Amino acid sequence: MALNFMDVFYRAYLGEPPNDALSKSMANSVVTQAIQGGIAPYQEYLLQGSIVDTSRDVLLHRLQGLCDNAEGMPQKFQDHEMVFMMRGNTPQQIISFRVRHSLHQRQNWVLRYTGQTEIGDKNRQTLVRTCCDVATSDNVVQFLNEMGFRLDNEFIAKGFFFHKGRMRVTVSKIYKILQHDNLDNLEQLTMSHLVELSVVAPVGQEQIGEDMKAFAEQLKPLVQLDKIDHRRLQTF
Amino acid sequence: MNYGPNYSHLHNLDNTYREFVQFDVFAYPVPEGKSGQQVVDSLQRQVELLGAVKSGNFSVDCETYQSNLQNDMIFLTFSPQRLVHILHNTEQPATCFSILDTGTCLMADVMFEIFMNKLTHSKSAFYQQRKGFKIESKGQRYELGDFFIKIGSVSLMSNFKGILVEVEYCPCVILNDCWNLLKEFMQSFMGNIVEAPPPYLKNKADTPYAPSDTVHQYLEHFNNFRKTVPIGQPSR
Repeated sequence: MALNFMDVFYRAYLGEPPNDALSKSMANSVVTQAIQGGIAPYQEYLLQGSIVDTSRDVLLHRLQGLCDNAEGMPQKFQDHEMVFMMRGNTPQQIISFRVRHSLHQRQNWVLRYTGQTEIGDKNRQTLVRTCCDVATSDNVVQFLNEMGFRLDNEFIAKGFFFHKGRMRVTVSKIYKILQHDNLDNLEQLTMSHLVELSVVAPVGQEQIGEDMKAFAEQLKPLVQLDKIDHRRLQTF
Repeated sequence: MNYGPNYSHLHNLDNTYREFVQFDVFAYPVPEGKSGQQVVDSLQRQVELLGAVKSGNFSVDCETYQSNLQNDMIFLTFSPQRLVHILHNTEQPATCFSILDTGTCLMADVMFEIFMNKLTHSKSAFYQQRKGFKIESKGQRYELGDFFIKIGSVSLMSNFKGILVEVEYCPCVILNDCWNLLKEFMQSFMGNIVEAPPPYLKNKADTPYAPSDTVHQYLEHFNNFRKTVPIGQPSR
């Protein structure tokens, strides 16, 4: 049983089948214990869409009615996201980690890894990707640079945050940073807001997709939340 | 992460222990490891005589990763090879300490190991685990009023390497304000080995002490232990 679980883990996270040597080196690590305890790895179920700026407030009102934190003003956030890459000698050798820094609560730094996005078949309602979030100390940027990572791109996301049960909804606007060291000198990328509906949960909870689809239906026709194929976007 | 008041001082008993060993090994051939246990037992008796109360076990472990030279293009601006030491301390059980050979210490959630696994086991394998470098110090934890005392046996890949004693004085976070008190306390059960503060803390004697300072000290001792030849094997 445990071995099967290890198989799942290695395929999902490490991209290669387990062998004895690897399994042994992992035998007593915290990560292994977490897998056995069902704590890791997590998967993120994701639906995305967008809404033009002029209709944003209507959507916010709808979300306030639907979500759990209905009282008062919707919760705001402003995050600085930095994407760090490490490249090898061949184009396939690339790995990226994301650093999110809250500009409202400046002590909050989160390091995030997301795996390859799986579109899956038509029966699957959402995008699924492995993901891992860890809170870190404030020297994470220096740490990644010294490890050999380089800053690839960065942006600011300003917006609103809602939750319903374990579903998380964000309505945010993406800004380009014009000067690297000045986070106030920003330029909006589009005339619309990005809407994301996501759940982070342990592997194998496909039922979540159904719940998310049902929730997304309630936001129509204001916003059409869908599985967005990121690889197709990159070819534009 | 636990950032409570924390003061600790590590003292390396390696030299004393080696005197014991040389005496034991040459005069009375006893199984390797037993003599180490005897030293631990006598230290524990001393501490118990002072009135300290047992409060569970503790362990500090360290694994080391090195950057892969195949991918050294990205490291051209640095030294040819980067080392990352991953440490866990049972005193901060949800935290993973990652220390680079540059001295930068990142504190992160314990799931940070998934990121290291991603860097070591993906196709690109930017880092690799150093074989035979897993080292840990574990043993009995004592409490005596405001002091915590931890007497740990250090083992490198299950070979006994020596003894580390950690003494923590909780009410104070500035070394200069409590060094004399700590010294006197430690001399009461370790004798005159304790004369000066550990080198790592010399420049930090006036700044607040943090949990990362403890793991830094452990790492320095671990690195020294790794360089030494196995104890109990007389040089020929």
